[in-house]
Amino acid sequence: MAEPKASKSSPPREEKPGFLQVLAQYRRELTFIGIFVLLLGGGFTLISLQPVNDHVIEPFTAGIAKVSGVTLNLLGQKITMKGTQIRNDKFGVNIRNGCNGVETMIIFLAAVFAFPAPWKARFVGLALGIVAIQAVNLVRVVALFLTGAYFPSFFDSSHTVIWQTIVILFGVLLWIFWASRFATVPTSGPGAAPAEPA
Amino acid sequence: MGTPSSASRPPAILSGWPLQFTKGLLIWIVPVAIVWILITPVYNRFLTKAAENLVRLTESPAATRLQLSETHFFLITRNDMPMPRGYLAKVRVTDTHFTLIMLAAFFLAVPGKSLKKRLEPLGWSVLISVFFHIVSLFLWVKFMYATQLGEWSMEHYGAFARNFWGISKHLADLPFKFGLPVLLWAFFFLGEILPRRAAK
Repeated sequence: MAEPKASKSSPPREEKPGFLQVLAQYRRELTFIGIFVLLLGGGFTLISLQPVNDHVIEPFTAGIAKVSGVTLNLLGQKITMKGTQIRNDKFGVNIRNGCNGVETMIIFLAAVFAFPAPWKARFVGLALGIVAIQAVNLVRVVALFLTGAYFPSFFDSSHTVIWQTIVILFGVLLWIFWASRFATVPTSGPGAAPAEPA
Repeated sequence: MGTPSSASRPPAILSGWPLQFTKGLLIWIVPVAIVWILITPVYNRFLTKAAENLVRLTESPAATRLQLSETHFFLITRNDMPMPRGYLAKVRVTDTHFTLIMLAAFFLAVPGKSLKKRLEPLGWSVLISVFFHIVSLFLWVKFMYATQLGEWSMEHYGAFARNFWGISKHLADLPFKFGLPVLLWAFFFLGEILPRRAAK
């Protein structure tokens, strides 16, 4: 941010910053927010389109259901799977949008791409982040199934409030760790020291 | 808001910031959740009334009534059409605002700021969130009217309106419900994690 230059002839006065100055002061925050909102809205609009839902999201969700079913079988549940549904003799769930981790992935993607960082750091962060988010989402689906099977009265609250909060918090924390540890920009800017004259 | 300084690499304090933030989140999340659980019945009543007023503002004649049910739901009713179940649809109000837990925990967990400097932006953010929750419930009702009532929906809403209310409800219910706490946090505290500019 460029420092306001004080006049040589008069002593510096304390002035209220104008609208444009405030905009300039918050430029990086507003840029982040603008790009984040665009990517978030665009991403969710994209996955709500029928062809994208049918050819990308549904098969992806079916894959999640399959992995969750295999994990539950390893835990001694006798699971049968059909598309995005997993069930046994005690309980059954249909994994839908909102339960497949895609929302958190899009929020994470939007935050990573809106943040000023080198492209390589973005792609590495994105790849690792998506794997981590899906790992937590797998724990969520398995835990929710077991909650529904053994503690059905807790299922509704666990499904919406508790696990959605945990998965989103996890996605945001991942982004904060990524942004703080790996995202540096090798540029000269308003905050950088001026170059020495040759 | 933090102002990035010139440095060849991130200062040491930055490397501890995410960990301190995580610790703060773990400390604050339970008290914040307890407060949220306690205020939820009152807040649901307020949101139901506010959403009803907003819906009725857009109707002529105003026919919609939203009735709070079982603490966490409201029932959509209209006095100008038959309702075999006694209501047209049931909406879980609590699902609209549980992200307040995230919002408050994010703000309170920011390390290196006085409580006042965390509470003031949190207050503004909660206020913005309240408006968002009212609009979100309004969109739920319009979505129900436009797309879920069969022939009545087709008769009263055109193709554009059905798509408009459908996509608006979808965007408010998923991305912006979850994105809003992040957006508000970023507006006030992004400077804390913005990259320090490395010297050329």
